[in-house]
Amino acid sequence: MLLTLLFCALFAEWVTPYDPLQQDLINALQGPSVEHWLGTDDLGRDVLSRLIFGSRIAVIAPAEATGLAVLIGVPIGLFIGFRGGWWDWVVMRVVEAVVSIPGIMVAIVIIAILGTGLHRAMFALGILYSTAFLRLARSVVLTEREEVYVKSARVIGAGPTRILLRHIFLNIAPPLIVQVTLTVGAVLLAEAGLSFIGIGVQPPQASWGTMLNSAASFMELSPFLAVPPGIAIVATVLAVNLLGDVLRDSIGRGVRVPSTGAPAQRMLAVPRKATTPMAPHPDDALRVEGLEIMVSPKGEAEVPVVTDMSFRIAKGETLGLVGESGSGKTVTGLGLMGLIGTGVRITNGRVMLENTNLLGLDRRDLEKARGNDVAMVFQDPTTSLNPTYTVGNQIAEVLRIKQGLSHRAARDRTIELIDRVGIPRPAQQADAYPHELSGGMAQRIAIARALSCTPKLLIADEPTTALDVTVQQEILDLFRDLQDEFGMAMLFVTHDLAVAADICDRIAVMYCGEIVETAPVDALFADPRHPYTAGLLSAMPHGQSGKPPLPVIRGSVPAPGHWPTGCRFAARCPYAIDACAKPVQMTGTDRLERCTRADELSLEPAK
Amino acid sequence: MLRLIGQRLLAMVPLLLIVSVMTFSFTALLPSDPVDLIIGDRGSEEQYEMVRERLGLNQPFLTRYADWLLRAMTGDLGTSFFNSVQVKDAVLQRMPATLSLTFGSVLISITVGLAAGVAAGLRPGSWVDRTATFGATIGQAIPNFWFGIILASVFAVSLRWFPATGYVPLTDSPMEWLRSITLPALALGLSTSAAIARQVRSAMVGVLQQDYIRAARAQGLSSRRVVLKHALKNALVPVVTVLSFQITVLLGGALIVEQVFAINGIGSLAITAVRQQDIPMIQGIVLILVLVVMLVQLATDILYGLINPKARPT
Amino acid sequence: MSAPLLQIDDLSVTYWDRSLLGLRANGFEAVKRATLTVDAGQTLGLVGESGSGKSSIANALLGLVPPSGGTINFDGQDLATLRKGFPPEIRQKIQAVFQDPYSSLNPSMTVEEIVTEPLKVHTRMTRVERHEKAVELLKLVKLPETHLHRYPNEFSGGQRQRIAIATALALQPSLIVLDEPVSALDVSTQNQIINLLYERRDALGISYLLIAHDLALVHHISDRIAVMYLGHIVEEGPADRVYHQPAHPYTQALLEAVPLLDPARQRARRAERRGRVTTDMPRLSEKGCPFSGRCPHVMDRCTARMPPAFTVPDGGTARCFLLDDEPNEQGRSKD
Repeated sequence: MLLTLLFCALFAEWVTPYDPLQQDLINALQGPSVEHWLGTDDLGRDVLSRLIFGSRIAVIAPAEATGLAVLIGVPIGLFIGFRGGWWDWVVMRVVEAVVSIPGIMVAIVIIAILGTGLHRAMFALGILYSTAFLRLARSVVLTEREEVYVKSARVIGAGPTRILLRHIFLNIAPPLIVQVTLTVGAVLLAEAGLSFIGIGVQPPQASWGTMLNSAASFMELSPFLAVPPGIAIVATVLAVNLLGDVLRDSIGRGVRVPSTGAPAQRMLAVPRKATTPMAPHPDDALRVEGLEIMVSPKGEAEVPVVTDMSFRIAKGETLGLVGESGSGKTVTGLGLMGLIGTGVRITNGRVMLENTNLLGLDRRDLEKARGNDVAMVFQDPTTSLNPTYTVGNQIAEVLRIKQGLSHRAARDRTIELIDRVGIPRPAQQADAYPHELSGGMAQRIAIARALSCTPKLLIADEPTTALDVTVQQEILDLFRDLQDEFGMAMLFVTHDLAVAADICDRIAVMYCGEIVETAPVDALFADPRHPYTAGLLSAMPHGQSGKPPLPVIRGSVPAPGHWPTGCRFAARCPYAIDACAKPVQMTGTDRLERCTRADELSLEPAK
Repeated sequence: MLRLIGQRLLAMVPLLLIVSVMTFSFTALLPSDPVDLIIGDRGSEEQYEMVRERLGLNQPFLTRYADWLLRAMTGDLGTSFFNSVQVKDAVLQRMPATLSLTFGSVLISITVGLAAGVAAGLRPGSWVDRTATFGATIGQAIPNFWFGIILASVFAVSLRWFPATGYVPLTDSPMEWLRSITLPALALGLSTSAAIARQVRSAMVGVLQQDYIRAARAQGLSSRRVVLKHALKNALVPVVTVLSFQITVLLGGALIVEQVFAINGIGSLAITAVRQQDIPMIQGIVLILVLVVMLVQLATDILYGLINPKARPT
Repeated sequence: MSAPLLQIDDLSVTYWDRSLLGLRANGFEAVKRATLTVDAGQTLGLVGESGSGKSSIANALLGLVPPSGGTINFDGQDLATLRKGFPPEIRQKIQAVFQDPYSSLNPSMTVEEIVTEPLKVHTRMTRVERHEKAVELLKLVKLPETHLHRYPNEFSGGQRQRIAIATALALQPSLIVLDEPVSALDVSTQNQIINLLYERRDALGISYLLIAHDLALVHHISDRIAVMYLGHIVEEGPADRVYHQPAHPYTQALLEAVPLLDPARQRARRAERRGRVTTDMPRLSEKGCPFSGRCPHVMDRCTARMPPAFTVPDGGTARCFLLDDEPNEQGRSKD
């Protein structure tokens, strides 16, 4: 499309069947015919020829205006963004003033000064659109300045010019290109508009805008006259905008080079039976059997993130689900509630909450079970509360919807709950917005909301990770107290073994999407039976008090899709033998572990 | 809230000043001498001086600006060079048509943009999304005046459902007023609808991935409630910003669309003033337009504060 | 003893809120008259929770924010007076590693470009010399040479942090500011980085200012530790003394708040602290000790004025009136 346009603009003289200015009043205002494919206008000029000549302006005009806009806008924007201070303030006020005047009006005023005509009009538009580039350049500089790598560059000692050119300018290119295409489109539209009202391109010169101008006057006589130039404008602008979208996408990819590491053998998604020995027990609040979760990353094959996951939690018990990033612990927590996002799929397993399989419920029943039977507390309290409603409102809403309480009763109960989670002046704090609370306070509110319907199971996903350690201690105490009072079972997801030691009755250690060891908390710390558990324990900052070298687990956690087929820890394990190359099942009765050598090894306990 | 309004009103002052300086100095840069235009080629030297003095053009630039500014503050924007019409009266007389058109299109674009954006944002990648996104892309590529011509030739010329030209004041006949602005407002609102739809869509997609949406669902609230109560309010926050930008686009667009439908609004007044180099008229139009823009932006700021508690000053 | 490498005295850092018209309005004092010393070849651990001002000290030392008071004596020069940026010879001697390994490397540069950037700025090395140096630097942080032509997004957090360390080592600095260098990493990779930092320090004779929120972790590689709370340095002393015998109630609270790895002892500790009323909304005392609102030992005079720095028997100082009864009270009080 754009190539056609460029071709027409360059070779207009040769392509056109007629002279665009040649009048033929006898054949004025004719519809399309063999001689005149798109008909003739009010002066009998050939529309197709005029259209093709108009394309010349459609190329020149945006090029002029956009070029000028970039040349004026980008340097000034970079300068004031980097310099800041009074320069920034003054220039930005002027820009604000310019953009608060309707663009066309600015153009009209500038044209009034300079006089009508294509180049003057484009000069006017160039000045006008330079404000867009100025703001873009400035905002990119302002965000990039805060990037840690720009901070690093300043520490290295790179001068302002070097930082601007080497570190910031590279990153301005993608939005700049998109803005160029947007501006080209906008200029085309504006040029057409100005020519249409008669102060852009002057007749008899052919431009799509002037063609529409005459078309409008003869709307009743020949409605077709408006169609060709209009479609030409729409198609060109559309093509330019789409080009911008494509460019943006491809540039985005250019920076983020996909990983070139050798892909490990992918596992097949074959539904399997749960292999973990686990008999149902009447005391179970939750029993998860053979859970398997698959993720399909964008444009890549589906990979498992959780496999063969089985565990149980008794009523009133707290099970810790401990693992490093990428172990699949968080997606497990979300999966139990059916809250997994797009691209994630539960491919196997059952989640028995007392006698109901949560995975077998339809949407309505699942919504009913959430909140009433199972609730969740998230990692970051400042983002897990809706910023646009008061915290009291958000708790009361749950009470009204899930418990059918009246407004009045819900409000009273809300204040009771806020008081219960240890927030002073509860009635006043109920009217606070989330951003007005500290992280610890916001997490208390989130806990109050989760417990508002006294669920049987509470899933807590790293609820103290975002908090300072002294606040963490108070929140952990609160969980303990509330469990004594409400009697719910808890699944406590964390990466921190020490936190798990504090809050949990039993711990399940996860590595690469599977549980490698489950044991009562005292036994796990006194006698870890999986080498990964022992490695984690020894690596804890409190695990030893000596000087370096500190104990390490060699290597790093492999990403999903790159897991070994046998024991997933084998490559990092100091005790690995040949037998570890085969998949390992969970074994044991009272406590379970997934290690071929569990019985023969004696591992270091926590210190 | 009162503090917010106060702050914003205060911030308008320097902005208005800058705009007034800019328009005043721009118009002072006009290449041709307006006096020549008024008295024609045959005016004598004396006549020339007389007109110059009457128009105050013999005063130094700063004096003229100060004089004009002082009078503008009392609401007197001066008189047109060409007839003894008060600028203020001329502009105010034309204003209702332009404003009706603009606000009609605001209503249309909010309704259309919101509906299309929410529908698309709920299921990114679905056919609804692709249709809406494609429609929005096209909508932004269509020149509003051309869309006006097409609307007029179909619905006014061929079908005769609406008048093709003219504007009927609201006070004359509400029904005819509505009929007279429907087509122009549709033409004008198209690209803004598209802009809002795109914005709502991306805001919706972003908001639906937030923790608090997940938390609300974890609490067992129905999807419908989560979308309409929790997601939409947050998705509206950026939309309000877009709207405050779009208002200048719409006002500017109105000037052109008015020409298609032969509506005697600010557009024709401005074009005539520019052709005649009627300085006080141009200054007055710009100043009043900017005032309208700022009042609308004040309103959107207040709206912004209402839906986004973080924006409220404490 | 020779003069310390870095001597910070009475350093204050204040952030200003800009009002609508760009006029200066409310100031927030993030660092309040902090005094710190780093000796050559030694590590000072700076510990505090969020909002304590520890990163502001780092930023002032790196010339990223201007101090609002006090002096920063480094290598015989007062950095606090250099408002127009540091001269190259100072820049070369102070380098930094930041917390987030995902945003601290420019995504559009290769590893080789990243680690040789300081050389391009400060030296006249040829391309070949720079390449050789890059290979050497990667060796120092135990990464294979083949990584030189890759982009940062191909690496894990631990590997990125190694690249950042290599960049910091490029100019053979005498001081590296480590701002939470491992807190974004997994437990199993944290110690790898700590060990690496420790090794390099001893081999190259560098000093570290190690900023972190975890006292236990800092204790491993620090010679001295300073503890910050709401802008004040409340305790300072030899690493072992601060870790094993904390003198300031806040340091004690910080240590106690970290759960023990022994569930039985942890249960006992929780039972013991029950009943003690604490809150994470400290009632700020304008004139007095910032910790007085949460302190179990609070006395009347704690809220009346900020305690001066008292000498702690086994080394270092603490700003707490509990130490006032000690016979050797004198402190380096400047209040």
